[in-house]
Amino acid sequence: MYAPFLRQGRRRGLVLALSLLVGGSLMTACGSSGEPAATTQAGQSPASSAGTAGGLIAIITPSHDNPFFKAEADAAKAKAEELGYETSVASHDDDPNKQSELIDAAISRSAKAIILDNAGADASIGPVRKATDAGVPVFLIDREINATGIAKAQIVSNNSQGAQLAAQAFVEAMGSKGNYVELVGKESDTNASVRSKGFADVISQYPDMKSVARESANWDQQEAFTKMETIIQKNRDIQGVIAGNDTMALGAVAALKAAGLLDKVVVVGFDGSPDAIAAIKAGEMHATALQPAALAATSAVEQADEFIKTGKVSKDEKQSIDCELVTKDNADEFGVFARK
Amino acid sequence: MTATNAVLAAREVTKVYGGTQALKGVDFDVAAGRVTALFGENGAGKSTLMKILAGIEQPTTGHVELDGRPARLASSRDAADQGISIIHQELSLCPNLSIQDNLFLAREVRRPYGAVDRRAEREATIAVLRTLEEELDPDTPVADLRLGQQQIVEIARALLQEARVLIMDEPTSALTAPEVEVLFKVIRDLTARGVAVVYISHHLDEALEIADDVVVLRDGRLVATAKAGDVDLRWIVAQMVGRDQDALFPDREALAGDEVLALRDLVVADPANPDRLAVNGVNLTLRAGEIVGVYGLMGSGRTELLEALAGRIPPASGEIRLGGEPLSGTGIRERIERGVVLVPEDRQRDGLVQTMTVGENLSLAGLYKFVRRLFVSQERERGAVERVIADVTVKTAGAKAPIGSLSGGNQQKVVIGKALLTDPRVLLLDEPSRGVDVGAKADIFQLMAAQARRGLAVLFTTSEAEEALHIPDRLLVLARGVVVGEYRRGEINREELMSVSDGAAIGGAAR
Amino acid sequence: MTSTSSRPVAETVQPERAAATARRLSLLNVAFELRAFIALAVLIVVFSVLSDSFLTVPNLITMTKHVAINAVIALGMLLVILKGGIDLSVGSIVGLSGVVAGELLGGLNLGFADLIAYPPVWVVIVLCMGVGALVGLVNGILVTRFKVAPFIATLGMLYVARGLALLISNGATYPNLAGDPELGNTGFGLLGSGRPLGLPTSIWIMIALAAVVALLLTKSPFGRWLYATGGNERAAELSGVPIRRVKTVVYVISGACAAIAGLIIASELTSAAPQAGETYELNAIAAVVIGGAALSGGRGTVRGTLVGAFVIGFLADGLVILGVSTFWQILIKGAVIILAVMLDQGQQRLKRRGAAASAVAATRQPDRPHQQ
Repeated sequence: MYAPFLRQGRRRGLVLALSLLVGGSLMTACGSSGEPAATTQAGQSPASSAGTAGGLIAIITPSHDNPFFKAEADAAKAKAEELGYETSVASHDDDPNKQSELIDAAISRSAKAIILDNAGADASIGPVRKATDAGVPVFLIDREINATGIAKAQIVSNNSQGAQLAAQAFVEAMGSKGNYVELVGKESDTNASVRSKGFADVISQYPDMKSVARESANWDQQEAFTKMETIIQKNRDIQGVIAGNDTMALGAVAALKAAGLLDKVVVVGFDGSPDAIAAIKAGEMHATALQPAALAATSAVEQADEFIKTGKVSKDEKQSIDCELVTKDNADEFGVFARK
Repeated sequence: MTATNAVLAAREVTKVYGGTQALKGVDFDVAAGRVTALFGENGAGKSTLMKILAGIEQPTTGHVELDGRPARLASSRDAADQGISIIHQELSLCPNLSIQDNLFLAREVRRPYGAVDRRAEREATIAVLRTLEEELDPDTPVADLRLGQQQIVEIARALLQEARVLIMDEPTSALTAPEVEVLFKVIRDLTARGVAVVYISHHLDEALEIADDVVVLRDGRLVATAKAGDVDLRWIVAQMVGRDQDALFPDREALAGDEVLALRDLVVADPANPDRLAVNGVNLTLRAGEIVGVYGLMGSGRTELLEALAGRIPPASGEIRLGGEPLSGTGIRERIERGVVLVPEDRQRDGLVQTMTVGENLSLAGLYKFVRRLFVSQERERGAVERVIADVTVKTAGAKAPIGSLSGGNQQKVVIGKALLTDPRVLLLDEPSRGVDVGAKADIFQLMAAQARRGLAVLFTTSEAEEALHIPDRLLVLARGVVVGEYRRGEINREELMSVSDGAAIGGAAR
Repeated sequence: MTSTSSRPVAETVQPERAAATARRLSLLNVAFELRAFIALAVLIVVFSVLSDSFLTVPNLITMTKHVAINAVIALGMLLVILKGGIDLSVGSIVGLSGVVAGELLGGLNLGFADLIAYPPVWVVIVLCMGVGALVGLVNGILVTRFKVAPFIATLGMLYVARGLALLISNGATYPNLAGDPELGNTGFGLLGSGRPLGLPTSIWIMIALAAVVALLLTKSPFGRWLYATGGNERAAELSGVPIRRVKTVVYVISGACAAIAGLIIASELTSAAPQAGETYELNAIAAVVIGGAALSGGRGTVRGTLVGAFVIGFLADGLVILGVSTFWQILIKGAVIILAVMLDQGQQRLKRRGAAASAVAATRQPDRPHQQ
């Protein structure tokens, strides 16, 4: 059913949460859910009792309610503690202002390095420069900023390559012809347009592939479900759905299932979320492009470690990590945003 | 008084608020260089008329004339620009700002490049305060002033505008006697310079002293005008109340039955200021079929007394018994079910739900009587509502009419009808005649008498001496939360009543 | 020299004319009352002309199914708004309810007995509604007992409930809520995909809930109390209305309604995400407001709220069918909401004018009950 490692944690969460709600200790509940920054002393963890000599690495990502960012932060934290650093993990919730405050906090705590999944390509330039000027090197993961020479590294997954990979699998599964629907992410988000363009680069080479609808579902499952149902009302003659992320792809799967069309329609997503991999195994989705979030995060920490110890970085600033295609054939090889 | 030297005049002015007609075709002249005193009971339309003359309200029909020509006063600012200023009954100062900033609010003295000329403002402030013989620092925040000083600031603001017409709506309610004298001196100076002054005050003698012309409003109509020297207080009161004064009050025999409600040493803290006792040890028994009146001015504790009886505010100590059973610890709802119901003083704020119909308002308090299983039996509700509309003689298009379509008097009857629909044993009414016209007043008093005949115990409050003397079988005079006198009907006259309540107020102040 | 004048009052407004004005205004009023219906009719006509696939039975059913989710939340919101409050926490309750369903269907670990319980679906549904009601109860207690402004209290609970959903789920989605025949907890999916008598379950739920709420509002004493409390809390209190209980209960019902919506969503997707329902509170408020309810309380109907939900839902789906860009969809939705509220203001002004005209007519004919 579901990954066992999540199970236990969740159940503890339920008991805790319900007892808080019933007990009326709302302040506690508020504090524990509303407080994004959780500092862990490396010394507390027996695996890395080597000491705090390494100093602090601050890990700042978007909200952990998206498992992708959680996986990325977890991987970075694990790697840093393995290398003997203290860590502080915080979420900026895509709020540039909050991101700036978190960076200020890292500077004032004399962090050795910041691992950052930033809150905006332009809005983040200033805070990154501020940290660099204060002598705290910044290593960017997952998202780029619109400036070079400030951050020590910008390690992003290759969205364009991933999208082309997914689109290629999509076209092949459809036999290079038929009517398809595209569900786009939040249209103000760069990744949404990069992925959409990647899809188009491939699909446009096949003249028999016909787009019958292109709708934004804002990365959201319920919205994808509703839009897909409406699109089906307009046109039942659909052979494929390609979505900008797995969440929307799963929404489309639910709508297609309800309409009895799922066995005739190829669904392809993006991200490689555990839910999507489960759906691929169950035969409900055809494929997804997995972003190796953990790989980028681990690599960023390794490069930070190198810089702290030697004062140099050996790799180029801009690095891209290729996405991997997940299909039924290789689904068993993948874990949470990483190869097992 | 002739129309020729009228600076400002109202011509056939009518004003309707929601369903209440506050003014019914009023012609009113204000003469230059004279003080026109305007008299009338609460709700006669004095304040409404002044608001129209000062541009704060617009007449529903009719118009305002300035120097004999029709004028449009779109706002108080507009009126001020045309030389009309008003001193409000309710203070309209910003407590967080200083005296100086209040005086020049929205009329700041500007330097050529737009900045505020604070020095010029300061000099003007000091000068005007000196005229009023009030030595105050212009930088003092208004919040730090006592009420009387705030009223002086309000007056100073009107003086600064150098108006041709100055309207004073209750300017002295918080002033001490020496301050009133200074104000009168200032008013004389103004009229000597040709300024027209309109003066409204509850202190009839004071208003008559300063007045040149006397105008009386009753029930939204202008009923009398005279030269101040030709009339006395008696005449003014007669005009204010109307000649049908005797018809206002029903004839009745007191027929007291069994004791229904008894209070022992009731003490109630002031909800707005818990350190103060609003009601301080009141004892009272109320018998079936009896009408008992409580005469008291604002702040005497009359409202708190009735609200404590109705269960709205818990008493600090003392005992309330209904038919021998203690009522303590019960809420409003339970008391209504046991037969104690209150008709509140402010019907807009506490009495009516404006978004509901006449019928829904009437049945609100007694709704529990019509519940069958889970639902309200509409048949029974409709029957009861129609009966009560007939009983309390509400003039309405029907139970489904919006409550806002009724006149003030009929709205008050709806509030009373709502209380009667609960089949009470004790009917409490807080100033039931406030803000209703004379006809409705008579109806309401008849209604109270009729309910008493049916065996209800009626307890009501009033601040009108005439009502206090004529309506109740027994009258309690309440001052500063203490009963200072108790009289049967006819045992006391107007002058004695005044001296008892004033004396108690002064005595209370000295305690 | 005393001159007493009891002059006759000038007839500035003819009673006949005032009565006629009142009549004309009340006709206009009817048009305004129906404005939401008119808006809905206009939408249907426009979309039918522009697209062949709009006005078909299957599409109408699909759109109604989409409307149902918002309508279920909006019916609860209506009660809160009638009271003069607002409930911002409903969107988070949608997410929380789905997550609790996911957790329960995955098995409830009874730590003390070292057992995992798999409650049947009906128990899950009742428990989820209970959780929604519980959040509502907290809202109600905050508002009535601790005198926190409804906006603030429910804003706080918006975060608390969302936080709880994330805590319970650890941020992850519950991917498979189909249940297991061996454990006897199957059937959850029927809530979202079942079609009793040819209509999706969620539409039946909407119809049933609307009937219950309408009955509550128009026939029960509670409904009358609610309208009175929203119209004038002080007057209601003095009339013996238990205002605290009324105010608390509306939040409880609103929370339970939101929980039902959360269950429908989770069932449709057969998966539950802790982020589900974000900003749904705004759609629900919009539906209630378009339906003619006053945010100040005391005014609003079930019929209006349903029509409001249909306007929003049909607008959204219609624009998708036409293939209008997302950005325009957002803009048009906003414009419709503003337009609806502006019409409402117009209606209130008309009503006041109507009342004034009636009053003038009435005082001119003091002996007859006035005609409207």
